[in-house]
Amino acid sequence: MNNGKDVRSYKAQKVIDRMGQKLSRQIVGSLTACVHCGMCTDSCHYVLANPGDPTYAPAYKADLIRKLFKHHYDWTGKVFPKWVKAGSVYTDQELEELKDTVFGKCTNCRRCTINCPMGVDLATFNRMARGLLCHVGIMPEGVEYVAKEQWEIGNQMGVLKEDFIGTIEWQEEELQEEMQDPTAKIPIDKMNADIVYTVNPREVKHDPRSILDAAKIFYMAGENYTMPSEGWDMTNFGLFNGDDDLGGAVAARVYDNVRELKGKKLVMSECGHGYRSTRCEGPNWAKQDIEFEAESSVITMLRYIKEGKIKVDKTKNPGSYTFHDSCNNARSCGLTEEPRELLSLVVEDFREMYPNRAENYCCTGGGGAMSMSEYKSRRLKSGKVKAEQLSATGAKVVVTSCHNCVDGLTDIIGHYNVGMGVTQLVNLVANALVVDDRISENAMKYAGEEAVTA
Amino acid sequence: MSNILHFSEHTLQEIALVFMATVYFLRIKWFLKWTLGKERQPATGMGDTNPKKGARYSLGMIIKPWTMESTRTKPFMYAQFVLFHLGVVAAIALSFIIPYGPGLLKSAALVSAIQFMTGAAFIVGIMRIIRRISNPYMRAISSPDDHFSLILLTSWFAFASMAASNDISGGEGIMQTFFLLTAFFLMYVPFSKISHYLYYPFTRTYMGRSFGRRGVFPLRKKPAYDTV
Ligand code: SF4
Ligand code: SF4
Repeated sequence: MNNGKDVRSYKAQKVIDRMGQKLSRQIVGSLTACVHCGMCTDSCHYVLANPGDPTYAPAYKADLIRKLFKHHYDWTGKVFPKWVKAGSVYTDQELEELKDTVFGKCTNCRRCTINCPMGVDLATFNRMARGLLCHVGIMPEGVEYVAKEQWEIGNQMGVLKEDFIGTIEWQEEELQEEMQDPTAKIPIDKMNADIVYTVNPREVKHDPRSILDAAKIFYMAGENYTMPSEGWDMTNFGLFNGDDDLGGAVAARVYDNVRELKGKKLVMSECGHGYRSTRCEGPNWAKQDIEFEAESSVITMLRYIKEGKIKVDKTKNPGSYTFHDSCNNARSCGLTEEPRELLSLVVEDFREMYPNRAENYCCTGGGGAMSMSEYKSRRLKSGKVKAEQLSATGAKVVVTSCHNCVDGLTDIIGHYNVGMGVTQLVNLVANALVVDDRISENAMKYAGEEAVTA
Repeated sequence: MSNILHFSEHTLQEIALVFMATVYFLRIKWFLKWTLGKERQPATGMGDTNPKKGARYSLGMIIKPWTMESTRTKPFMYAQFVLFHLGVVAAIALSFIIPYGPGLLKSAALVSAIQFMTGAAFIVGIMRIIRRISNPYMRAISSPDDHFSLILLTSWFAFASMAASNDISGGEGIMQTFFLLTAFFLMYVPFSKISHYLYYPFTRTYMGRSFGRRGVFPLRKKPAYDTV
């Protein structure tokens, strides 16, 4: 290697070659159209938390990727490379530096995207750049680990099938206890169910209460549903590491299981990136159209209330609540009104956070950031704007429809001493359920059975 | 009028225009050769929008500064954007009016309007040059092309403003410089960031279609529900 510039490393060459395969017209448009106007600069939470450091500016970060495109795929960059800031990568060290930016300085939240007058979608080509680096094995350790778990075991947290079933059975017992109904079930692999309910592995491993709460709501609604014993993980690390193959395989696994069980509708629990991956991007990655309906559990719960299938009493959730929009739900999937409508039905005091909906700031846990421990201090620092947003509401609890956001917000709240709780809609809806009639009916039955047994 | 000014106003402009059109054609051809990513995702969001509606909204956002936080919270920057681009329109119009419809410039109102628009754009250009050099963020994201394009346009506005009266009684220098700059501008544009308007309809449409399908565009500000 001569000064590291005449000869390109094997990995650098592979990155450049693969870029050519990954460029769509939409991405090329975004790579070509930037006029360096700087209007997107302070839409980014990293910029706001690091005043004066231009390396966090969206257009600066974008140019680190754009320069490769210009040098290798755009003839203006080939003719006048220095004039238009075109450049290449030659060494693995340069790829490592690129990794630091595309994984460590951007959560792919798309806030700059909706603030760019030209329609440049940095988040989309930042994801592409992540995929190029992952292709040659350059990625944060946590990203590699989680992606491997999802490839090999079938879910992001490496939950084994027997552990999954064990957790569901445990929650089923809890359900029977709470509903005072020994016949209450959380069905697994039931054929021809109206709903196939998929969850985030975080629920199985760290928050089984969410599964129980969802089960209570299904129980009260009298829903004919099931959980699949395979393909139950609707999250998708392919969104974060930019690997369309992983994204396609994970999404296809979920779709295939719905088809195998002959389910009528796929319902996804509250998870922003899972919803976006399974509902929106999954069909593109898996290159298949899905013939069944797919919806967020937020919409399912809202429908139950509207159709009178469940009754809720908002006085059961006293205190003040605000709502944090997950970037993937709000900015990438338009899921902004349903969660607010639902929240307003189950709590007495709901206060908006500003800015909100598609303009909300990232919880800092987006883009798989929670799995990249090497960037934790940077992430927490970038949470300053979120902490200020939360504090300004004066609410005691922040509600969100995303497990990633729960973790991201919990970190921020702790780090900045915001003094707030974090919860999800499923927990509030379950808590607000009016179950007295059903329980007393079942309790009498249960008591009768016990008397007979005795 | 000297032969050289006549050449600059006519033949040179025509050559430059043909050159620009040819490079633009090649550029669009190059752009369209990239495969359009297929969108298979079923519609999400509240369901009261669609890709077409999203695309229309997306294309129109630039004339509705309240729709983007970046333009809503920086009205001064937005005003600069408007004045700068009006200056471009006025200067381009002038480069056609002088050779092909000089009679129009007998209207003092039209001359004043062109002078006002190009003069204001010149002032905005100076402000933008200062911002690009003094703001650390702008400095960090700027390429030589960004600096050069801005200086080129700002100088062009200055000469357009002075040339608007189409008066060569005091010498042809201003007129000559305006047309030389115009010809250079026309030939340089396809290679520079100034050609961004070629991509604008594409990028905004693609973004709008995708965000429309997902119910993100038009952006929501008020509750779309009436339950509570
Ligand atoms: S990404 Fe958009 S807003 Fe940001 S500098 Fe480029 S053109 Fe301007
Ligand atoms: S996608 Fe989000 S985190 Fe990344 S540069 Fe844009 S605003 Fe910043």
